[in-house]
Amino acid sequence: MATRGTNRARLLLVSLLVTSLLLITLDLRGVSVVSSIRGFTQSALAPFQSFGSTLISPIGQFFSDLFNLNNTRERIDELEKENQELKAQVIFNKDIEGELKQLKGVLDLAGKARFKTVSARVISKGGTATISESIVIDQGSSAGIRRDMTVIAASGLVGVVKSTTANASVVMLMSDPSFRVGVRVAGSQFMGVLSGEGQNIFSLQMLSAAADLSVGDVLLSRGSSGDAPFVPGVPVGKIVFVENATGQLTKEARVESFVDLNSIGVVSVVLDSRGSNPGDALVPAAPRPAPTITVFVTPSPNE
Amino acid sequence: MSINRVPISSGLLLLIFLFQEAFVNRINFFLGGFALYLAFAIAWILREERSSAVLIGFLAGLIADLSPTLEAPFGLWTFTMTGLAFLIVTYVRGSLDSNLSPLTLSVVTTIFSTFAIALFVIFGAILGQDVPSFSVIARELIGNALWSFVLAPLYIPLAIRSHKLSLSARER
Repeated sequence: MATRGTNRARLLLVSLLVTSLLLITLDLRGVSVVSSIRGFTQSALAPFQSFGSTLISPIGQFFSDLFNLNNTRERIDELEKENQELKAQVIFNKDIEGELKQLKGVLDLAGKARFKTVSARVISKGGTATISESIVIDQGSSAGIRRDMTVIAASGLVGVVKSTTANASVVMLMSDPSFRVGVRVAGSQFMGVLSGEGQNIFSLQMLSAAADLSVGDVLLSRGSSGDAPFVPGVPVGKIVFVENATGQLTKEARVESFVDLNSIGVVSVVLDSRGSNPGDALVPAAPRPAPTITVFVTPSPNE
Repeated sequence: MSINRVPISSGLLLLIFLFQEAFVNRINFFLGGFALYLAFAIAWILREERSSAVLIGFLAGLIADLSPTLEAPFGLWTFTMTGLAFLIVTYVRGSLDSNLSPLTLSVVTTIFSTFAIALFVIFGAILGQDVPSFSVIARELIGNALWSFVLAPLYIPLAIRSHKLSLSARER
């Protein structure tokens, strides 16, 4: 009896494994039914993700803050002084204010470049099980968004639209390991390719061995043919480390993105660049040093 | 496993998947993230007999494949979870005490939900998917293991109840 049960389980296992291999094969061959299943799922999930986003947004940082209590002690002390009755309202307002600040920033950036954009809220992120760096936004094809459109935030490039449904889009973040963007160094115009590595640090490979790189250099997107997937001139990041190994055919560097990809709440999708190339106009202004006030006191001989 | 259990099992798994996609994914966990859905599915599989476990693994994988943010080909999670379910019930479940203690259940669930992600990454790499750097994968795996273990008292009773709910009166 036990052997019969084992055989039945093995037969079931083999048939289910074959079924899953068939699904993989169909998907890799681009069969539309299989490919559209995820689009359908996204349409179905979008209302729940919107609701979840509203609900989770004020407490989304709870678990990470729990492990960084020392770093946030000052913040906690400050919050403790506030009136208990207003605390919930303050947290809610703060969340809205943060989103507004991000929205203002991204609209400023798009306005400066004369891009036609549509703004969207981030309603979900790719989970641990997906091992991909992506987000879901609450605007889709009904707002004019299509695959391979550039997605920006207040400080610069976020990623590229990977798929859309009527009311939501999946955006591949620039930190995804499969993400590549052509960039140029603001000022010197040397060109290179930036690759995602799963976090906020990226690797840059220059096209020319003669490229002169230095820490702090700003990188801008080079733009693609027909502005898809990348419009030109969007700030991407700044160089934080230049690899000076001898014998390299091309120069390599480590880059930090301008956008903190872990805390984006509002983004804009560039619908149309209107043929404009902002050149170096979008390079973020360097922080101005705060003036130091020096007071000279001359003691009088009587004192 | 009776065919009547398939709709209710799929429904319960879909609910947890929905919760994962709409709520859990929005939380910024310390060190990577937490795959509640995977941990829940593994805890459920541990309570099933062999044929049922394979079928639950298949259903759980099929639902995981629906995730819109997934880059991997459709069917990869199905393949991973089906094989893993068979592995768990054949080689792991049999060597454990028949009455799993909550601690054992938590540890085994933690290990195999993390192992499932590792297997998924490996199979993805074999199929030509881009793989993140080792440090990123290690952080995700460690983070998932940490949270799967810490939050086990929340989702394991839920998995046990879901399993019981899916059983017919005769099977109970």
